[in-house]
Amino acid sequence: MFHAEKFIEKTILNLQKEIKGKALIAFSGGVDSTVCAALVNKAIGKQLIAVHVNTGYMRKNESEQVKQMMEDLGLNYRYIVASKEYYTALKGVEDPEKKRKIIGEKFIRIFEKVARKEKINYLVQGTIAPDWIESGGGLRDTIKSHHNVGGLPKDMKLKLVEPLRDLYKDEVRKVARALQSQVSERQPFPGPGLAIRIIGEATPERTRLVREACDIVEKEIERASDQGLMERPWQYFAVLIPIKTVGVHGDKRAYGNTIAIRAVQSVDAMTCHYSTIPHDVLDTISTKITNTLKEKVNRIVYDVTNKPPGTVEWE
Amino acid sequence: MVRIYVIDNGGQWTHREWRTLRDLEVETTIVPNITLFKELQKENVQGLVLSGGAPRIGLNSTLGNCAEYLDKAAFPILGICAGHQFMARYFGGMVQPSKLPEFGQVELTVCVDDDVLFRGVPKKSVVWESHNDEVTILPKEFIKLGESENCDIQAMRHQKKQFYGLQFHPEVEHTQFGEQIFKNFIRLCEE
Repeated sequence: MFHAEKFIEKTILNLQKEIKGKALIAFSGGVDSTVCAALVNKAIGKQLIAVHVNTGYMRKNESEQVKQMMEDLGLNYRYIVASKEYYTALKGVEDPEKKRKIIGEKFIRIFEKVARKEKINYLVQGTIAPDWIESGGGLRDTIKSHHNVGGLPKDMKLKLVEPLRDLYKDEVRKVARALQSQVSERQPFPGPGLAIRIIGEATPERTRLVREACDIVEKEIERASDQGLMERPWQYFAVLIPIKTVGVHGDKRAYGNTIAIRAVQSVDAMTCHYSTIPHDVLDTISTKITNTLKEKVNRIVYDVTNKPPGTVEWE
Repeated sequence: MVRIYVIDNGGQWTHREWRTLRDLEVETTIVPNITLFKELQKENVQGLVLSGGAPRIGLNSTLGNCAEYLDKAAFPILGICAGHQFMARYFGGMVQPSKLPEFGQVELTVCVDDDVLFRGVPKKSVVWESHNDEVTILPKEFIKLGESENCDIQAMRHQKKQFYGLQFHPEVEHTQFGEQIFKNFIRLCEE
């Protein structure tokens, strides 16, 4: 069995041996990077610098909350707004693997800049098992290049430290609970963010649409599960499909995009079953999204694919 | 503590097999499939899991040194997906592209009553799949243990040796009795 306390003890000792001097941690505010930061913080204290990048593809108010969290945790942190850079880099890019690689490289270039300025040699990442498994390499096929593994540029000079490499999400949560972390039950959110929840080009305008839709899906599902109407899914969000269909808005023809609702049950992300959301809840989500996004979105679909054959995220 | 290694043929769930064994208190490590048999002997391995593999390797690849393990091992071996397909080919069976590949949830029917590997597993249960190819001709020395609607040979066993092959994936969370199957395999290795 996996023992969180033993893992914490052993990892802190290893980190103290492994890291000489300062280290930088890529901090998204999710379970993996927060647990990782807590462990490294216990090992090397103020020698650790947390860096959060607002890529422009974060969820509603997310980066501000992450900033507050770094403050609350007493981390030595840097908050970097780079949304313009990311939007420019992803201009015209439709291929999901290209998106992931561009985002992965951009993260590293930003970290390198901080590292050069502050004389840091180590990059700590909250990489977990599915990240490197699905990124492929050697015998293993590439399912998708996770930004923190398959998306790393080859010429990166920072030394990688990845204490959670052998863990799955449920095990990271156990560590988080043992550390009494507030984020232990937070749903996963991918590093490339909303960019891979937009099929096709991830423009600022499309990002705005999917951000709004994700916010509605999250709020309604959380409300329904808090009221006991359904089990809280493992992960739940919206995907923007820029395929236009015909609708009718107040006696007027509409021609807008499609949003897919995705929610899955899982333990470790390696297999997932789609979640059963009650029709009343789907109904509320559908009405709220179409009424909020009006002429931009006039059709909502519900994804009923398991993994395999699908993956959780669409890209 | 029993020692069972996982032979990595490049599957998406190789590490999951390792985790399942570790969770059941087995001493386990993932080793590349080019590991020599004598190196496994040196470490007193008591059982092997041949993992699934990268796309289509079950169909015609050699899977590193898996043949050597099947040739020399006196301990139990559990082949999963591509590992199962390779086992069938090695003993003279046949593997072909599936007419209807299976991905995700499938109903398994166990077709024998008393097999050790399926002890405590009901006749019908939910298993999860992910395969493009399958065993179409059972090797002579093997008996069929299980089937599904679209795949005739879901599970098989060597008649004399403790070699098992499974087309489905007992290591993933969504396979209903996966952990029970692993427990049974571990018991075999302990004997």
